[in-house]
Amino acid sequence: MGLGAQAARIVARTLLPKGEQARLERLAYQDAGHGWDRLGLRPQAVAASLAATRFLYDAWFRVESRGAEHVPREGPAILAANHSGMLPLDGMMLWTDVLRHTDPPRVPRIVADAFVPRLPFVYTLFSRNGVIGGARATAERLLHDGELLGVFPEGVPGIAKPFSERYRLRPFRVGHAELAIRHRAPIVPVAIVGAEEQWPELARVESFHLFGAPYLPIPATPFPLPVRYHLRYGAAIDPRERFAPAQADDPAITRALAAEVRATVQALVDEGLRERKGIFR
Amino acid sequence: MKGGGVLVTGATTPFGRALVASLLGRADVPAVLAVASERVWPGSAHPRLLYVPADLTRSRDLRDLLFGPARDLGVRAIAHSAHHRSVRAAGERVHALNVEATREILRLAERHPTIRRLVYVGAAEIYRVDAGLPALIGEEHPIEMSPGMPQRLRDRVEADLTVCTRMGLSSLSIAVLRLSEILAPESGSQLDDYLASRVCFRPVGYDPMLDVISIADAVRATERALASDAQGVFNVPGADVLPLSAAIERAGRVAVPVPGPLLRPLYAARAAVRGTEFSWSLNRWRFRWSGVLDGARAAALLDYRPEAPIWRDAIRQDPENARKTGDGRGGAHPTRHHLSSDT
Repeated sequence: MGLGAQAARIVARTLLPKGEQARLERLAYQDAGHGWDRLGLRPQAVAASLAATRFLYDAWFRVESRGAEHVPREGPAILAANHSGMLPLDGMMLWTDVLRHTDPPRVPRIVADAFVPRLPFVYTLFSRNGVIGGARATAERLLHDGELLGVFPEGVPGIAKPFSERYRLRPFRVGHAELAIRHRAPIVPVAIVGAEEQWPELARVESFHLFGAPYLPIPATPFPLPVRYHLRYGAAIDPRERFAPAQADDPAITRALAAEVRATVQALVDEGLRERKGIFR
Repeated sequence: MKGGGVLVTGATTPFGRALVASLLGRADVPAVLAVASERVWPGSAHPRLLYVPADLTRSRDLRDLLFGPARDLGVRAIAHSAHHRSVRAAGERVHALNVEATREILRLAERHPTIRRLVYVGAAEIYRVDAGLPALIGEEHPIEMSPGMPQRLRDRVEADLTVCTRMGLSSLSIAVLRLSEILAPESGSQLDDYLASRVCFRPVGYDPMLDVISIADAVRATERALASDAQGVFNVPGADVLPLSAAIERAGRVAVPVPGPLLRPLYAARAAVRGTEFSWSLNRWRFRWSGVLDGARAAALLDYRPEAPIWRDAIRQDPENARKTGDGRGGAHPTRHHLSSDT
């Protein structure tokens, strides 16, 4: 066993309660033969990451979650969430929340932007935890295999929008709607409230494109602020009842479905904003 | 096998010999015509085996072979796997075997009185691997067409596409198999040569998923393709899908992460000093980003599923992975990286 695997095991055993360790034993994944799935997901790494995110989830961001019962227990499904916060900590919290609230635990296969697989170290860690590069064929294959995708249909424009436009969702790309129709997968809308204020951005270096990054953000604080996260899952939007798979090629239909998902997420965001008592509460 | 004989080119390679042995073990194959450049068949004799040494780069030899022994034996199917294995082989004669021989076999087989099926045994190394492309490689995946690639790769692309262009237009039923890398000595395996060193340098920060196939699975897939009438391109993955670091560990080697720019001179120096085969230019992308074959089409149409992992013994001994879902295979520490399942 390599040093990385040993470290992962120690972290999981030290930081995860026994009950949680036992629950993760039932984590379903498609072993390609040696303890990894074909895209690199490794259950031991998932356990270690879940342990490592406990502090952020429980103590720092004090995540409040509602409606996770809408996440299907099995079969193909797509989580569609708003995206914000300079760095994708919202994705990390969503990943943790789904793992904690599904039984047997499901790893949401978060779809990262196309430049992310180019990042050394980062993508290796991400892929061990189920993150995939944003290639359509990979997402299609995972849905075909009955997996749970996590997408941020706003993409980089969502995470890059100015503070003054926080919680005003950018236009949704239509790829998730097309995938949902073609693969008969329900879309679970998810609102993430709190991430917009988590890490103020001082400036950005627009000319920085190392590894294909769109820009380099300069944070105003060395650490994210201890804002409170509120996650709201809405009832699934099920395209199976309304569309035939062949209609996935119809641009008008996919645009309409994506707009419907966006409106639902926006409504959940607005609800979360109304209900929270403050940025830190 | 529909009652006809089978012609196997490249019959003296480890894969070719295993394929010939397997075909001879089948009652529905009346004759096997094995062809290679060696003067003498390196295996044991068999009443249903005819070995013919031939230079496939010579059109006359090919014509004599197909319209001589092949016609007399009633050969129905060809498994064409002959090509240069060395990454350092270059030049017109290499191209003649890798590409022109394939073109000529196609041409002659199309007007042959008994041949009805051609299975081209190609390699998945022709696929392009890049961070922006799907990590799961389907048959429609982009092909590596970079001019800077070694001739071996360029020839394989050309031969593969040459066969593909005749699909549906030819009187032959054609299947192109794109095999994962056969991890075995003398099979042209880059990874085998890479893992032969005690110390394996790999790019720091990257640990891509690889898949490799045993000779047993490669033979099984080829047999199924020979027996089938399914036309098209088929990815043939192996049973071993694991990260590069795990492959190094299972081979009992020491992995040393090194900044990417240093790897080319390091491996160029190794090749120059020790005459080794591993080429960094051929592997630089797949040693950074994952590229794993999706074998769904071969599973659906050829009923092929990988069954013979290379690291089988190690897998059986690993209690950590014994509980895993799926087919229950896991992995651990082998003593060698090419084990008994290859034979």
